[in-house]
Amino acid sequence: MRKRVGVFVCDCGTNIASVVDTEEVARYAANLPGVVFSTTYKYMCSDPGQEMIRKAIKEHDLEQVVVASCSPRMHEKTFRKAVEQGGINGYLFEMVNIREQDSWVHHDRGEATKKAKDLVRMAVAKVLRNKPLYISHIPITKKALVIGGGIAGMQAALDIADAGYPVILVEKQATIGGKMAQLDKTFPTMDCAA
Amino acid sequence: MSIAIAEEKGWEPKIIVFACNWCTYAAADLAGLNHLEYPAQVRIIRTPCSGRMDPMLVLRAFNRGADGVLLSG
Amino acid sequence: MVAVAQHPNIQIITYAEVTNVAGYIGNFKVTIKKKPKYVDWDLCTGCGTCIEKCPTKKIPDPFDLGLGMTTAIRKVYPQAVPGKPFIDDKHCRKLTEGKCGVCEKICPTKAIKFDDKEEYMTVEVGAIVMATGYDLFKWEEVYGEYGYGKYPDVITSLHFERLASAGGPTGGKIKRPSDGKEPKRVAFIKCVGSRDDTKGKSYCSRACCMYTAKHAYQVKDKIPDSEAYVFYMDVRTAGKNYEEFYQRSLNAGAKYIRGRVSKIYQRGDSLVLKAEDSLLGRPLEVEVDMVVLATAMVPSEGAQELAKIIGFSVDKDGFYQEAHPKLQPVETFAAGVYLAGACQGPKDIPDTVAQASGAAVKVCGLLAKDMLATEPMVSEVDIYKCSGCGFCVPICPYKAISLVEITEKGHHGPIVRQVAEVNGSLCQGCGACVPACRTAALNLKGFTDEQLVAEVDALCL
Repeated sequence: MRKRVGVFVCDCGTNIASVVDTEEVARYAANLPGVVFSTTYKYMCSDPGQEMIRKAIKEHDLEQVVVASCSPRMHEKTFRKAVEQGGINGYLFEMVNIREQDSWVHHDRGEATKKAKDLVRMAVAKVLRNKPLYISHIPITKKALVIGGGIAGMQAALDIADAGYPVILVEKQATIGGKMAQLDKTFPTMDCAA
Repeated sequence: MSIAIAEEKGWEPKIIVFACNWCTYAAADLAGLNHLEYPAQVRIIRTPCSGRMDPMLVLRAFNRGADGVLLSG
Repeated sequence: MVAVAQHPNIQIITYAEVTNVAGYIGNFKVTIKKKPKYVDWDLCTGCGTCIEKCPTKKIPDPFDLGLGMTTAIRKVYPQAVPGKPFIDDKHCRKLTEGKCGVCEKICPTKAIKFDDKEEYMTVEVGAIVMATGYDLFKWEEVYGEYGYGKYPDVITSLHFERLASAGGPTGGKIKRPSDGKEPKRVAFIKCVGSRDDTKGKSYCSRACCMYTAKHAYQVKDKIPDSEAYVFYMDVRTAGKNYEEFYQRSLNAGAKYIRGRVSKIYQRGDSLVLKAEDSLLGRPLEVEVDMVVLATAMVPSEGAQELAKIIGFSVDKDGFYQEAHPKLQPVETFAAGVYLAGACQGPKDIPDTVAQASGAAVKVCGLLAKDMLATEPMVSEVDIYKCSGCGFCVPICPYKAISLVEITEKGHHGPIVRQVAEVNGSLCQGCGACVPACRTAALNLKGFTDEQLVAEVDALCL
């Protein structure tokens, strides 16, 4: 696989850019082995931000993408999709967490920027060794189990059943109703509980 | 090197953290959400689970000059 | 409740517990233990003759929290759904002593089965909703100042609900448990176990402020010339129409006193509460006939074990942990398992209903798909390196690895040997098998040794 990495550094408004010198990080990334393109943008996850990634993949013939922004637990799926729309495998992509694990926990601009560069270097090193991966599909049993026959379980069971799916409702006691059945009138309307 | 001398010379430790995606990595994110400050010398590597950790990786980090390795998950 | 029972898409299995959950999102295999009811519900018509004739009539009724008496063969309560009885095997004389058997003789459909046994059944489902609810905090174990439960007229709010309920042991007349007299002066104590780091739980149980307002109102409403005192730390009425309801209680004459009660003791026929009115800054002594404690909600018994069986986590208080407090409040860390109601944290009825509907939507969203995409970051075996030692098989927490036989070409004919095989749907991509592999035949896609080493090297530059 050719090494043509694109690095996209997000400002996240001021969430990242106020502590991390994102321009500096992008300049640094441009000189890393394998990187052919790098840039910054105010909101990478926004529509124009994603469009920027899609366009850059085509214009710069990118083979791998690194996005330095928030936690991958937040937006990994978002960017993976954007990368796929750009025409390359979504797993030839790595995300660098320079918000939750950098700009939000450090105040020193120099140190935080240095950390961001290190993390980008790490991600570039990794992404060059990524391989395309493919999602497989498995069938679904179209039936639900609800554990507990109180008000929560009954409501969930009814809603799922109304949508047309079979539901098994398991209850520990010999009746459904749960604690609610023990209650008298309920606030604020003072309806009877049953 | 004693800590006093180290500080004088501007030495900074290099600490590598291997963090499980489901707990420690999430906790590190939570620390971020709450803006809890900690030293910037910490570098986190995300692992899918601490079960994935291989002693080889810890040795590799020390071998390459890491001053401390934290394994958490 | 009746709507649930009558729904053609809902199968109700009561008096049963989930004992095992295997599989994964979209394809769970669930084992359900059906406890013996000693009544064949297929034959039983629910006529209730057995309940009338059961000679064991002096069992403290668990449904009424011991305020009333019930029989050994009974419905949980008369309007139970399904409306069929079961036999309480701890109290039935036939089951404990071998005598009696009256119900068997009189049952017109021969539905009584004293030889009923535990039954296990397995069901296959695509999604699971946890709705295991809550229990009440066991205040008797820690609140010595309120008498450790030795005063019969110090009761919980749930007891009060039973007293106020038309279907309860008193037919809806509020009577105190000790002598059945109508209490003219009732004190309510909020936050018993809630918001109490030293003896109880640190959290707020959320529903107590409102039901206590309701109870105080009911006292004023049902008992003429009565007094209702409510001892509170704060009044929290954050809900639509909640503040108005609280005001209604105040307008009815409920006396709210801000302060904790430090001691309850008996004086003659009544109970004395020692407290502080912290708004006036002075000590206070109130004599009442009955005390109602608004005890904290805690996770229901066995909820934690169930979480372990299914494979998701609980929070520090034992409530089920949601995947994200704001953005994924009904999901768990186990894909395909969702949360509804107080099992996730203390909740009142409107919030419970809302969350249950939320969980239902998540389930429908999942079941509406024909196929489920699986995460490709799973382990893979290089069969040319695999020696078939099987070391990885017991390591895998998801039972995703098995040994299979393969046939290879050899110099002297085909060679049959064992190699490991990973089931991509069961594999959750934890990678625990990778360091266990002695021949480095296993690797986790997306987190290979090569990738992680590259990361370490790049950081240590």
